[in-house]
Amino acid sequence: MSSGNGAAMRETENHFDVVVVGGGIAGLQSALDLADQDYRVLVVEKQPSIGGRMISLSKVFPTLDCASCITTPKMSAAAHHSNITLMTYTTVDAIEPAGDNHRLTLTQMARYVDTSACIGCRQCEYVCPVEYPDPFEQGMGALRAISVPFANAIPQYAVLNPEYCIGCGACVRACASDAIRLDQQPKTLTVEAGAVVLATGFHLNSTSLKPQYNASRSKDIVSPLQVERLLAPHGPYGRVLRPSDGKIPDSVAFVLCAGSRDQSIGVPYCSRVCCMYSIKQAMLLSGALPTADITIYYMDIRAFGKGFEQFYQNAKAMGISFVKGKVARITPQPNGDLMARVEAIEEDGRVMENRHDLVVLAQGIVPELVSPERLGAAKEEDGFIRRPDPLRPAWTGREGIFVAGTAAGPKDIVDSIMEAGSAAMEASHYLTQKRATADANAPSLELEVIGAASE
Amino acid sequence: MSEQKKSSNPKTESQKPRIGVYICRCGGNISDVVNTDALAGKVKQLGDVAACRVETFMCSDPGQATIVEDIQKQNLNRVVVASCSPFLHELTFRTVVQRGGLNPFLYEHVNIREQDSWAHKHDPVGATSKALRMINAAVGKLHHAEPLERIRMGNHRQTLVVGGGIAGLKTAAELAGKGVPVILVEQSSSLGGRVALLARTFPREDEGSVLAKKLIAQVTDHPLVRIFTRARIERVSGFIGNFDVKIAFEPKPDASASSDPQGAGHSANAAEVYASVGTIIVATGADPYKPARGEYGFGEQPAVVSLADFLRQLATLPNGNFIWNGKRVRNVGFLHCVGSRQVEGVNPPQADGKINDYCSRYCCTAILQQALTLKMRFPDVNVFDFYQDIRTYGGHEDYYTKSSAAGVVFLRYHAEEPPVVEPGENGSALKVRVKDYLTFGEEVEVPLDLLVLGVGLVAHDIPELIDLLKLPVGADRFLQEVHPKLRPVETAVNGVLLAGTAQAPMNIEETLSAAGAAAVKAAIPLSRDAVELDPFVAEVNAEKCNGCERCLTECAYTGALFKETVQVDGESAVKARVNPGLCFGCGACVAVCPTRAIDLKGWTLDQFDAMIDGLVEAVPVEG
Repeated sequence: MSSGNGAAMRETENHFDVVVVGGGIAGLQSALDLADQDYRVLVVEKQPSIGGRMISLSKVFPTLDCASCITTPKMSAAAHHSNITLMTYTTVDAIEPAGDNHRLTLTQMARYVDTSACIGCRQCEYVCPVEYPDPFEQGMGALRAISVPFANAIPQYAVLNPEYCIGCGACVRACASDAIRLDQQPKTLTVEAGAVVLATGFHLNSTSLKPQYNASRSKDIVSPLQVERLLAPHGPYGRVLRPSDGKIPDSVAFVLCAGSRDQSIGVPYCSRVCCMYSIKQAMLLSGALPTADITIYYMDIRAFGKGFEQFYQNAKAMGISFVKGKVARITPQPNGDLMARVEAIEEDGRVMENRHDLVVLAQGIVPELVSPERLGAAKEEDGFIRRPDPLRPAWTGREGIFVAGTAAGPKDIVDSIMEAGSAAMEASHYLTQKRATADANAPSLELEVIGAASE
Repeated sequence: MSEQKKSSNPKTESQKPRIGVYICRCGGNISDVVNTDALAGKVKQLGDVAACRVETFMCSDPGQATIVEDIQKQNLNRVVVASCSPFLHELTFRTVVQRGGLNPFLYEHVNIREQDSWAHKHDPVGATSKALRMINAAVGKLHHAEPLERIRMGNHRQTLVVGGGIAGLKTAAELAGKGVPVILVEQSSSLGGRVALLARTFPREDEGSVLAKKLIAQVTDHPLVRIFTRARIERVSGFIGNFDVKIAFEPKPDASASSDPQGAGHSANAAEVYASVGTIIVATGADPYKPARGEYGFGEQPAVVSLADFLRQLATLPNGNFIWNGKRVRNVGFLHCVGSRQVEGVNPPQADGKINDYCSRYCCTAILQQALTLKMRFPDVNVFDFYQDIRTYGGHEDYYTKSSAAGVVFLRYHAEEPPVVEPGENGSALKVRVKDYLTFGEEVEVPLDLLVLGVGLVAHDIPELIDLLKLPVGADRFLQEVHPKLRPVETAVNGVLLAGTAQAPMNIEETLSAAGAAAVKAAIPLSRDAVELDPFVAEVNAEKCNGCERCLTECAYTGALFKETVQVDGESAVKARVNPGLCFGCGACVAVCPTRAIDLKGWTLDQFDAMIDGLVEAVPVEG
């Protein structure tokens, strides 16, 4: 179908100027900035679609642009770029030096679909009788055991989830292009790269680290990524509802630092984006639920980026209530109410038990990549990828290996995109130096000096 | 897709228009207000519309594929997409149309989101009718569309960097390393900017001067870098790939001040540098906020100092007792948000009448780093920290944790009730009165021997450069990028990029990343021999031109429009002509031409007529 799919898997090639590990916003930006300079780039993505975390967000702070509207063009630009090859549903198992280059061992996981035949028509999906909680919708909503992962996924190939497939063969019979391969095996392959950009991203740490918040005891104690889907115009319910009973919430609480700035769970650092996305979600919620009370429990509001403080002040002016205090406990009641226990620090220090019917836990941001050592990099104490040279913030300290975005620490989209550009610059600088052969076509400095200029 | 390859390429655009119209739901952003299905039903009835479809995300890959497939299977030769602002996706769809085999300028973008569904949320029927009118206008415009070619111009493959602080140095080092020649212009007499003056930087406790020196070493003596100090940009003209720049120099102070004839000579023959560059990076930096006299006692109480001064002096103090200006210091206060997070009616306005309502980002960490250093070196000193929110984001939290553990006492004030600094009593220099919201809003008096003001950052004042480069400036006086996520280091002027704190407050690491991002955007257009510009420029029909020269008077872009004498029927006549590289397509010349001899390519007068007809044609849509 689209030429994006066609260009996505040129498997005959095995040498690239740069391999970018991770097809989220940072990886895509690095890839585009390198490809636009005529470097040949391979993007390897673990998930069946590129787009990363950002493609699943509703709107983004502080401009309240729709996240899809900013991510899809970058996804599409990467898919259609003549210098970019995409490999999705593929893991990078090892990166080792190979002479002057890096050798990457990749595993292409089994989609159980032949991507050279699949045209993304979704006929398999329509006939599949099994549904399971949709991971793109954070478990709310349902996905068929064989399906295209989400509406604006790239590439648009179906993927079969063997955990849920009952082997009925309905999809095989429905597929007009005979693309389904129930006997497909994972495939290992190696590629070589002149340089590598690690853009492996983050995930949120588990709510089970904070048992006092009782997330396992109520479906209405939710993660911020769930709220993003609830707020997305094309989300699972098409509106904001409590997951437990479909009720429209009338009192929503955000609990900040619910998985970071917390030595007791080994995450002493600040996750950097929670204040802002909570404020954003609160603003969007107050638009979607005009009569709801919205409270943000915080330790410090960290609105430090360009336009952030003004965004925070707007939220206060909109009537969102900001309460300073770290929530001690959340107790689900038999009637479904959620009681948040917190000290009224700004008032008289009494202990309050505030009733809410939807609670959002700002879980901590932790690195997705557990062992950067396997990919030729080292990690800091906090687990994020180490960058030893203060003057080269995108460099891992290993020859030709660079890092971009949240792989190097929690950060917002703007900062991730900045770092991605910086990683692309350092990688192209490195490749130029490595080639070391004088390019006959290279420009030389041209200017005209009249008189004695100070230099 | 491949079996449907067109027989001729490009399609013969002169054939009867077959227009495809694509309506985007934008995942509900549009379709929650505009009845997209009813709209499509009406659009299908418009003249020459051969295909009309509705998609959830037109910009997604499946959406794009639909257009390509329709162009090829249904022989479309013109395309309209009705979706979001052209600012976001016009280029996306031009590329799609081109992939389908059409000239990319046989495309019209209709904004039914920002200009329609978002603006008329409470009037779905009206919004749907408006969408139809807008699409009808675009269809009318396309009837008169001609295939256009982008203008190819030569490319001066070198970059001008304005500013020799760490942002400018970093961009220069990266570009030169990539093989791009750089001309670096610094206003002062030395490189390294503000970082060169810092004793210690966070988070690695490197010495600022050492960091700056290392960067300076990477660019000085580099064969691809020429550095000019005491220099400023005096003139800029042109466009991406072809900026002509004149650099002028400040006379050396000793030269201008002395009566030495050599010095006077230097002044008289002030040097000049001329260069043509493809891209320009603005790295002019920021300044520490300078408190007004009397603001928290600054300038009146000698015991009130700014963070930068404190930092410099602390580094030079011997260990032992903390002695400041000859006096033993036992109690030190740090005050956050001086010149930042200001509140209307609480903080007096700045010189331009505005308050600084933004957060300066670096100061919380910088303050706590100093507080901690102080506590480590002089454990007997009591440190009080007056703050609103401690913004030690990310790993900088470590400074907060450690300074708390080291015994720094935190007092939290509200922006509406800033601390009051008064002369001290009983031997202490100062007294700070503050309502502390960590102890239930109790009014506290803290006697201090020294108060350090955690001053924020303000945009460096560069009115001449802003004027020369037509740089957009935000409400916070920092330079404004096009879009914080789509084009975060680009300005509205193609080829002019922002690096570092000229754009917003940043710390050193963030500045270096931003500089890298700016460098890559400067390098991309320079990786090719030519630059391509949009074809929307004026064109003179010489037959109609009567040589009245009104257009020349109106044109605001030097060299874009000029007159030439041509021979018509054996007689010489004056005619206007356009230099397409310098024309910005503003249309001022079109408006004053009495003979309709000038048209803007892609925006001709006939097209405007057709659009107006399309808008006013009665086309009601029932809800």
